[in-house]
Amino acid sequence: MASMDDDGPDRAASASNGPSGIFDGAATSVESGRGIGAIDESLIGHADGSDDTLRARIALQLERKRPPRLVLPRPRPKRDRHARTRVAFLRYSYYDIVFKFFVEQVLDADYLPLPEPTKRTVELGSRNSSDSVCAPFKHILGDYLEALELGADVLVQFAGPCRLGYYGELQESILRDLGYEFEMLNFATVTGKPLTDYIEVCKKKVNPNLSVPHGVRGMLAAFKMIECLDEAQDFYLAHAGFEAERGSFASTLASYHADMRAAASDRDIADAHKRGMEALRELPVRMPARPLRVGVVGEYFTAADPHSNLGLERKLLDMGVGVHRMLNMTNRNLRYHEKNLRASIADYVRYDMGPTSSMTIAAALKYAQEGFDGIVHLKSSGCTPEVDCIPVLQQVSRDTGVPILYLSYDSQTSDTGLDTRLEAFYDMLAMKKERAR
Amino acid sequence: MGILKQNDYADVRSVGIPRALLYHRYGTLWEAFFRELGREVVLSRETDRALVDAGGALSVDECCLASKAYLGHAASLVGACDALFVPSMGNLGHHLGFCTKFQALPDLVANTLRDRNVRVASCLVDVTEEHASMRDAFLELALRFGASPREAKRAWKTASHEQERADRAAAGAQERLVASLASMQGEDRPLAILLVAHPYLAHDPYLGGSVTDPLERMGATVVFADEADRERALKASFDFSATMPWIVNRELIGAILLLHERIDGIVLVSAFPCGPDSMTDDAIMRCIQGKPILNLTIDAQSGTAGLETRIESFVDILRYQKKGGYVHG
Repeated sequence: MASMDDDGPDRAASASNGPSGIFDGAATSVESGRGIGAIDESLIGHADGSDDTLRARIALQLERKRPPRLVLPRPRPKRDRHARTRVAFLRYSYYDIVFKFFVEQVLDADYLPLPEPTKRTVELGSRNSSDSVCAPFKHILGDYLEALELGADVLVQFAGPCRLGYYGELQESILRDLGYEFEMLNFATVTGKPLTDYIEVCKKKVNPNLSVPHGVRGMLAAFKMIECLDEAQDFYLAHAGFEAERGSFASTLASYHADMRAAASDRDIADAHKRGMEALRELPVRMPARPLRVGVVGEYFTAADPHSNLGLERKLLDMGVGVHRMLNMTNRNLRYHEKNLRASIADYVRYDMGPTSSMTIAAALKYAQEGFDGIVHLKSSGCTPEVDCIPVLQQVSRDTGVPILYLSYDSQTSDTGLDTRLEAFYDMLAMKKERAR
Repeated sequence: MGILKQNDYADVRSVGIPRALLYHRYGTLWEAFFRELGREVVLSRETDRALVDAGGALSVDECCLASKAYLGHAASLVGACDALFVPSMGNLGHHLGFCTKFQALPDLVANTLRDRNVRVASCLVDVTEEHASMRDAFLELALRFGASPREAKRAWKTASHEQERADRAAAGAQERLVASLASMQGEDRPLAILLVAHPYLAHDPYLGGSVTDPLERMGATVVFADEADRERALKASFDFSATMPWIVNRELIGAILLLHERIDGIVLVSAFPCGPDSMTDDAIMRCIQGKPILNLTIDAQSGTAGLETRIESFVDILRYQKKGGYVHG
């Protein structure tokens, strides 16, 4: 306590020098007098609730160096109306192919491709996020930081009915406080507004000259592309576990993705899809008489994005398992009919419990009824809606006897830890299947 | 939910209301509503350690403290009433949502307490997807309790007016409190501390008392952010953030903006691990400058001794500051 009093004035002073914000010492941990990093460390020990120490931090920015606003208004930098804008998206599975098409064919701008994410990506994101935000926030903030380093002019963020709906504005605020200059195309700003507002915001942030008729055609083609990519992924998940030649499915799918990435029209998309699906169907498979099948359910990012779930699907495929995942952009975004999904689970729930909840529960029940051997439920640690699905999934499991493995990911989750749990789960499923013979 | 259901709750004579979460925001309305419908209202007891522990045992580990406490309250009512009242609170419009927990609550309670044959009476508030306002939800609920349309309207009118009156009274009392603080001069004026916390923490004697009690013991005056004029606070919050999704967090941040000049410091309290607060606490700590802010996260395990030390040292900072201790800039 005494040391904190001593530190106080220093902290206030140091905060008035650098850019303000709790990441550079404007706020500090009461416990240790160190920076916010110190608080983060103490938080990790807490996640299981076993630690008795309390989390507390103080912000002592006594001089008002900014108005109380999350994102400060600023003079719009003069832009050459004819210069092409470089647009970057967050990373999300193979959907970068669609994002590229959207940027080039709908926004009529340059797409900035991001390299494969590395350990540094999530480290960058975590370092600049509050520790208790959900893992996708940290992954995406890392993506944005790398995109800005690579020269992005515009960052794109979606809207969503949970914390996701606030990602864009908070990330914009954090990145601006770090000193970056960019535009944020944040679709949460136009949620619930008419299509004309969406077009307006795209024109304002990216390309004032974009052609609306061309953009609408491009949008429809982009939707088609999503359906194609998801169809190919479904085929891959169902068969790659039984491939006769190791790696054949992954490499064929990769060529298909490369082919699709070069598409510039709906015709190109249809051709690439036809070629790709033919190639996938021709691959030899050795299907066992009674293959193990596992359904993957869960939260939008963690369940569908291999970088967020440490390649869970590939791990399952490598064990010789058939995999199915209902959750993808086709089923969640393009064809999502929440009420009909919920009708199929009326024995368990009355209301829509969250952004992906009805799909998580409906998919799990469907897998159980179709005789899948097991279900894996994936979410980022602390994802409230998916946490609230667990008591329902437990009832589904109890009623149908289908085993469910619950996995919770944070930015610390390790590959070996996951392997161990998956192998144990696989052994259990295999043994159960053997006994049922 | 599609087909209008009627009378399916008509046999429910006593309604159990868990004294947790949104009870601390809408409790007056709920109690008055069921009283108007001629029902007996059974409230769970005040939060205590045993309720929190019981709720924790029923909850998935990753649930927040307030959610665990809620399940403890809900479980304590099973057998003591004919049905539990657990509404599904989605949103009151775009950017006026509730944490998804409140949307999921009826199904969460029903599935968690399935073995104990819990009966859940519920209604849906979801303006963006279902165009179901709070009024719509309660009118339908009244019909399901067997009321005539006229009785339903009367029950809603009486109950919503009582809630409005209670909210106005709290806002008025706060305005007078802040004004009287401003009229005091110098040493005599107690420290004014704005407590920024969800109502289910701020006004729960067990969960929030561990913060408010030490503050008051040290002679500080606690001003509750959630008691500020909600409409004005909500409006002000849009100056802070265009897309913040949660109405309660909006009102809290709006209250900070409205009261900032009239207080000495801010104590920001969150339950561990709160989804919305995980984002808004960061926003507040980084972007609202000019007054010291103490951010506390409370969980089931934290002892009150640890809290007291931190609150005492924070009050010391504010006292020192009030005397002109720290040089600005």
